[in-house]
Amino acid sequence: MITQTAPAPSALVPPTPAATRRRRRPDLFRTLSRVLIMLIVIVQVYPLAWLFLTSLRTEQDFATGDPFALPSSLTWENYAKAFETGDLGRNILNSFVVTMGANILIVLLGMMAAYAIQVLGFRLSRLVRGLFLIGIIVPVQIALVPLFIDYSAVNLLDTYQSMIIPLAGFSLPMSVYLFCSFYEYIPKETYEAASLDGAGPYRIFGLITLPLSLNTVVTVVLVNSIFIWNDFIFANTFVLSEELKTIPLGLQNYIGAMGKVDWTATFAAVCVTITPLLLVFLVLNKAMIQGLESGATKG
Amino acid sequence: MQTNRTLPARMLPNRSRTSVLVFLLPPLLLYGAAVLFPILQSLFLSFFSWNGISEMEFVGLDNYVRMFIADDIFWRAFLNALAYLAICLVLQLGGALVVASLLTSLTRGRELIKTLYLLPAVISTVAIAFLFVRIYSIEPVGLLNQLLHWIGLGSLERPWLSDVNTVLAAVSAPEGWRFTGLYMLIIYAALIAVPKDLEEAAVLDGAGRWTLFAKIRFPYIRPVWITTTIMATTYGLRGFDIPYLMTNGGPGQSSELLTTYMYKTAFTSTDFGYASTISVFIVIECLAAVGLILFLLKRKADA
Repeated sequence: MITQTAPAPSALVPPTPAATRRRRRPDLFRTLSRVLIMLIVIVQVYPLAWLFLTSLRTEQDFATGDPFALPSSLTWENYAKAFETGDLGRNILNSFVVTMGANILIVLLGMMAAYAIQVLGFRLSRLVRGLFLIGIIVPVQIALVPLFIDYSAVNLLDTYQSMIIPLAGFSLPMSVYLFCSFYEYIPKETYEAASLDGAGPYRIFGLITLPLSLNTVVTVVLVNSIFIWNDFIFANTFVLSEELKTIPLGLQNYIGAMGKVDWTATFAAVCVTITPLLLVFLVLNKAMIQGLESGATKG
Repeated sequence: MQTNRTLPARMLPNRSRTSVLVFLLPPLLLYGAAVLFPILQSLFLSFFSWNGISEMEFVGLDNYVRMFIADDIFWRAFLNALAYLAICLVLQLGGALVVASLLTSLTRGRELIKTLYLLPAVISTVAIAFLFVRIYSIEPVGLLNQLLHWIGLGSLERPWLSDVNTVLAAVSAPEGWRFTGLYMLIIYAALIAVPKDLEEAAVLDGAGRWTLFAKIRFPYIRPVWITTTIMATTYGLRGFDIPYLMTNGGPGQSSELLTTYMYKTAFTSTDFGYASTISVFIVIECLAAVGLILFLLKRKADA
C-alpha cells in the first residue's frame, strides 16, 4: 500500500529512477539534519540564555533550584548589586577607549601599508608582505615578557597605550592583507587619470584611495573589535590600577576573597558587559559575518 | 616598461622614494615595536637567566637543556596543549564542517542560524569562564550534571573541574564551543560557492550524498579548508584565557598548557629568561604546525 502511494505524485511526469530515489530519501535526511541543526543551535545559544535568566534569579533560588527551571520570581536586584560591587561604567568606558584607539591605528596604518605595498610598489614589497604574515601565525604570548620589560623601561606600564600598542600590532597584518586585496581591484586608470591632473601620491591617497576604502574599513573594524573588546591577556599583564581596567579585568573583581562568588550578581555584571558588543553584532551581523568570511579567506 | 616588470605592483607612474617611506614607515614602526622586536627579544632573553631586578646572566643553552631534559612540567604542559588542540580542532573544524554541510540543505532560516551559531564568538573569555564554571559545577548542581542525571547517566556526575581525569577536556571544550561558529561561517561560504552544475552532474551520474561530498565538494573547498585548519591550529596553540581563568592549570598540573606555564614562569616566578625559552618553543611549535599542515594537505591535493 505504502509503496503504491509514494510514487503517485511523480506519476504525472515520466519518472526517472534517479528522481524517485532522490525524492524519498532526502525527506528523512532533511528532517534529520533539521533536528541536528536545532540541537546544535540550542547547545550554542542555551548557555547564553541561561546566563541571562540566572542574572534575574534570587540568590536563594539559584543556590537550591534545578538549574534548568525557570526562575521562580524575577528580580533586578542583582543588577543593582552588580553596579555596587564593581565600577562597570568605568570598565566599559576603558574598553571603548582601548577599542577605539587600537582601531584607529589598525585602520590608518593598515591603509598606509597597503597603499605602499599595492599602489606605490617598491622592490622589497614581497618581503614586507611576508613579514606581516609572521604576526598572523605567531601567538601573542611571545610579546608579553619583552613588552613588559620594555614598558617598564619607558614608563608605559599601566597606561592605555600599553594595551593599545600590542593589540593594534597583532591585528595590523590582517588589516594590511584586507586593504591590499581591495586595492588590487581599483583600476590602474583611475590613478593614471589623477596623475595626469598633477596629483601626487599623498593627494591620490587622500582623494581616491581613502574614500574608496570605506567598505573595507567597516570590515576591518568589525572583525578586530571582537578581539580587542574582549582582550584579556594584554590587559591582565600590563594594567594594575582600577581606573584603567577594561571589562574583562573588571569582571574578575567579582570573585571575592577566598574565591567566594556572588554568582547572580556576577552574571548580571556579565550581562551588562556583553550587551554593547552583542547589540553591535545583532544590528550589524550581516556586515560582520561577511567581514569574518572575507577576513579568513584573504588573510 | 622594464621597471614595471621588476615592480609588478606599481600602479602610480610617478611616485618618489620618500612617499613610499612616508606610507610604509609608520605601520612598520608599530608592527616592529609590538611584534617583530619582541620576538627577537624573546630569542635573546632565552639565553639568559634574569628575574627582572638583578644583573642579567648569560647562561648559553642552559635554559633549553633544562626545558627539554630536566623539566617534567614542561613536557606535561606540552602534552596537555596537544590534547587541548585536538579537542578544539575536533569541535571547531568537525563541528563547523557538519553544520555548514547541513546548512546548505536547509531552505529557510540560514541567516538566523548563522547569527545564532556565531553568538558565543562575541562573548569575552572571562564571561565564558564564569559561565562554564557554573555549567560544570556540582554543588549547586550545574547544567551538565543535571543533564546527565536526567538522561540516566547519573553515575557520570562529577565536579568536572576538580577531577584530574576530566579537567583538561573540561577547559578545552569552551574554547571549541566559542569559535566553532566562526569556522562554520567560513566553510559555509566556501561550500555555497561550489558550482551547482558540478554537483548536478555528479548527482545525475548517481553519486550519493557521501560521494558528492568526498569527490566534489570537499576537493573544491580544500584551499579554504587549509586556511581554516591553519587558523584553528594556531589559535588552539595559543589558547590561554579559559584554562588560566577556570583552573589556572590545576589541580596540580592536570590542565597546565604551555601558555599558562609560560605565563606563570614569567609573572609569578619572575623567571624571564626561562619564560622566554618556553615562548620561543611555542613560536617554533606554531611554525612547525603550519608547515606540517601545508605539507600534508597540499600533498594530498596533488595525489
